[in-house]
Amino acid sequence: MSATHTEGALPHEPEKATLEGRNKVLGFWLFLGGEAVLFGTLFATFLALRNQTNEGPTASELFQLPMTAITTLILLVSSLTSVFAVQAMHRHKVGALRGWLAITVLLGLAFLCLEIYEFAEYVHAEKFGMTTSAFSSAFYTLVGFHGAHVAFGVVWISILIGQLFKKGLTVVTAPKIYVSAIYWHFIDVVWVFIFTVVYLLGKVG
Amino acid sequence: MAHAHSVKRHKGLMDWLTTVDHKKIAILYLLAGGLFFAIGGIEAILIRLQLIKPMNDFVSAQTFNELITMHGTTMIFLGVMPVIFALMNAVIPLQIGARDVAFPFLNSLGFWTFLFGGLLLNLSWIMGGAPDAGWTSYTPLSTNTYSTSHGVDFYTVGLQIAGLGTLIGGINFLATIITMRAPGMSFMRMPMFTWTSFITSAMILFAFPAITVGLVLLSFDRILGANFFEVANGGNPVLWQHIFWIFGHPEVYILILPAFGVISEVIPTFSRKRLFGYSSMVFATILIAFLGFMVWAHHMFTTGLGPVANALFSIATMLIAVPTGIKIFNWLFTMWGGQIRFTSPNLFAIGFIPTFVMGGVTGVMLASAPADFQFHDTYFVVAHFHYVIVGGLVSGLLAGLHYWWPKMFGRMLNETLGKISFWFFIIGFHLTFFVQHFLGLMGMQRRVFTYLPNQNFDTLNLVSTIGAILMGIGILVFLINAFATWAKPKGVANDPWEDGRTLEWTIASPPAEYNFKQIPLVRGIDAFWKEKMAGNKEMTPAEPLGPIHMPSPTILPFVMSVGIFIAGLGFMFSKEQFSNSFMSMIFNNWIVVIIGLVITFGSMLLRSLYDDHGWHIEVEELEEEGVKA
Amino acid sequence: MTTEHQANRGIVKHSERHEGPQKHIIVFIFSIILTAIAFAAVMAGGVNAAFTVLLLLVMAILQVLVQMGYWMHLKDRGHLIPIIFMIGGFFVAGTAIVTALYWVWW
Repeated sequence: MSATHTEGALPHEPEKATLEGRNKVLGFWLFLGGEAVLFGTLFATFLALRNQTNEGPTASELFQLPMTAITTLILLVSSLTSVFAVQAMHRHKVGALRGWLAITVLLGLAFLCLEIYEFAEYVHAEKFGMTTSAFSSAFYTLVGFHGAHVAFGVVWISILIGQLFKKGLTVVTAPKIYVSAIYWHFIDVVWVFIFTVVYLLGKVG
Repeated sequence: MAHAHSVKRHKGLMDWLTTVDHKKIAILYLLAGGLFFAIGGIEAILIRLQLIKPMNDFVSAQTFNELITMHGTTMIFLGVMPVIFALMNAVIPLQIGARDVAFPFLNSLGFWTFLFGGLLLNLSWIMGGAPDAGWTSYTPLSTNTYSTSHGVDFYTVGLQIAGLGTLIGGINFLATIITMRAPGMSFMRMPMFTWTSFITSAMILFAFPAITVGLVLLSFDRILGANFFEVANGGNPVLWQHIFWIFGHPEVYILILPAFGVISEVIPTFSRKRLFGYSSMVFATILIAFLGFMVWAHHMFTTGLGPVANALFSIATMLIAVPTGIKIFNWLFTMWGGQIRFTSPNLFAIGFIPTFVMGGVTGVMLASAPADFQFHDTYFVVAHFHYVIVGGLVSGLLAGLHYWWPKMFGRMLNETLGKISFWFFIIGFHLTFFVQHFLGLMGMQRRVFTYLPNQNFDTLNLVSTIGAILMGIGILVFLINAFATWAKPKGVANDPWEDGRTLEWTIASPPAEYNFKQIPLVRGIDAFWKEKMAGNKEMTPAEPLGPIHMPSPTILPFVMSVGIFIAGLGFMFSKEQFSNSFMSMIFNNWIVVIIGLVITFGSMLLRSLYDDHGWHIEVEELEEEGVKA
Repeated sequence: MTTEHQANRGIVKHSERHEGPQKHIIVFIFSIILTAIAFAAVMAGGVNAAFTVLLLLVMAILQVLVQMGYWMHLKDRGHLIPIIFMIGGFFVAGTAIVTALYWVWW
């Protein structure tokens, strides 16, 4: 029950070793059910307002697909690296676990930088700000909410890497890592819908 | 087993601020709910006093708008929700045979976030005017163009914070019911109150994120100059109505389902019969929840959705009458042939049934789209939803409070006072709202601060106001009853109603900190009743006596909520023109928001970095208490 | 921790104990291909717009299903409750989206 387990005595899936751990994973899944509704409503708002450009830039004028392709690739790879992190955790290889998590964080940061660059470009070069049109408000809110989730994930996983250095892999830290990986995949899943619905469908018109 | 992590035990106020014990959090929810319920109730009385006679000038039109907005918002989000959560916290872990909820820390966080959200919303009264766009805050009335005070900002930010607390509470109860049930308590052996709370929590999980988004959009429109609802820049006000009701309709089922659960506990206990049609009750509850998400547009028939949408939502709404009817008949059949005792909880429960049926019938009337064009925005609608929410839900909550009061506080409420309060409440209620059906049919508009004489509205409005005062007296008698119990010594029996059927009646009133010394083994529906029938005085334990692990008390949830509160205030006033240069410096540069968020996320970080090892109650301690008892 | 919970966890088959990276790499390649098809369909242009929209949605949903099944472990044993609640979430999200497409403008 307590944190006195040594690494050698850890079970195969340390995240499920305690009732607290299992509760944490389950509770996080429930939370993701709510997140699905949150993003669903944001998508609904975007879809309702996607053509309301108020004589500002339209989706097909604005979006640069090569840029979107790069950010998509980055996030997809980061999802894969976080799977590898969980696999390393199941093998109790703390070094590999930390390494994969670090790569995930770096990819997340790269994604964020590109997104901020993209937003700055829209605001300054294209005169496309939050207040331009209903379309712009919906775009920034939807994609911005996703970006805020990425930023939260980056900070969260970084803190977990620190905890791995200090506390090691225990039945207390393992559920946190597992849950953060689930969170990261969920962010990737949301991005799949964003690049499809916002960027690609925006180009189709 | 690790021994004796020393833990600081707090006393007095600090104990309440730091508690993670679900039984104490239940009392906190009850106190907070009581406070907001009182505020909402005073607002209701003021509204009725204004409408007591035609062309009254008791309050101004603006004040009236603020009163109706805050009455609705306060009652729904801050009055009845916390009382529901109080009952859920007090009862569910006991009913499923658990020592605690799944997430004691989150439980506390949910309460404090809710409380600070509610306080923020009510601060509006003393900070430049309350929200005045109705509890639905329809755009464009609630956008900057038509609402220039900060009222609606208090609405968006306050509800956002309170809603976050509710969402956290919902997730906690879902996880608790899924994972913490005692051995033998399968899903189909759970008491009905636990079942309805489970479904309600699931609905909270799926409905509240929608209003979160809605409130974000509205506050972005108002504070950041976004254009979601600004028609001139391409926005669409109907979008707000959809988002609000995609949340709002499930919300009314979130409210009523726990009341259904309470009735399903109280009636079998005082009929000395098992609940008729338990499994049909469970499936009716699930069906109501599902349909509850499918009918929101019946609030919007008059926006012009078109005949196809109106017909679909009309039929879907009428369908809800089927599972609800199943429930009504099951309660009646439970009483049929039972040995009914008319105790005060049972009076409220029995009063619930015909009252709720009336509210349901007017609901089906409103579900008919062509008829709704006549009823829309009249007092007919007001009468309908007060029948389901006050006559239904509040009756249910009062039944539950009378029923579980001895379990929560160890003292019985006075039966005579309980009965007096019931009769004042039910007669006052029907006087207030029954006549409003006719006012509505005669064309009296809701949300208008007065009316002209000689339209046949005068007498009925007078009757309604008298009813409201009687109902107020009923609630006052209940409050007197509640306070009077403090004079009595604690220590009612484990099973004070003597016919308890479920696990909460097998342990002390109020229960020990750890609830169950040994987790019980559940052998059927109505676990305690089953043992009673088998001639056993108590439950068979499912585990040997051992040290009990408890979570540590913590102030972090309180601090986190204070942080969110500060950030919310900062966000609201970020575009405000202050005459004081220091104020404009810290508000207009988002410094207040940042301070608030640092407090919140900093506490979150602390929680993550320092593991809570909890503490143990040792076997010797448990045995000692056993001897004392 | 109750006996029921212990019973529920069951015994993990040996072959499952240390799953290799292969199937995750396959999922990754599959996701890349689906994404590439979607981007290519839009960048190439000239294709029927309605068909493109349908294709994009199918690609996205396929990719999400595969990733949720394998990377989020939803296809593994003991995930019934998460699956129920994810379906619930997507269902409510879907009603909001359908509403936005058909019942906001007229």
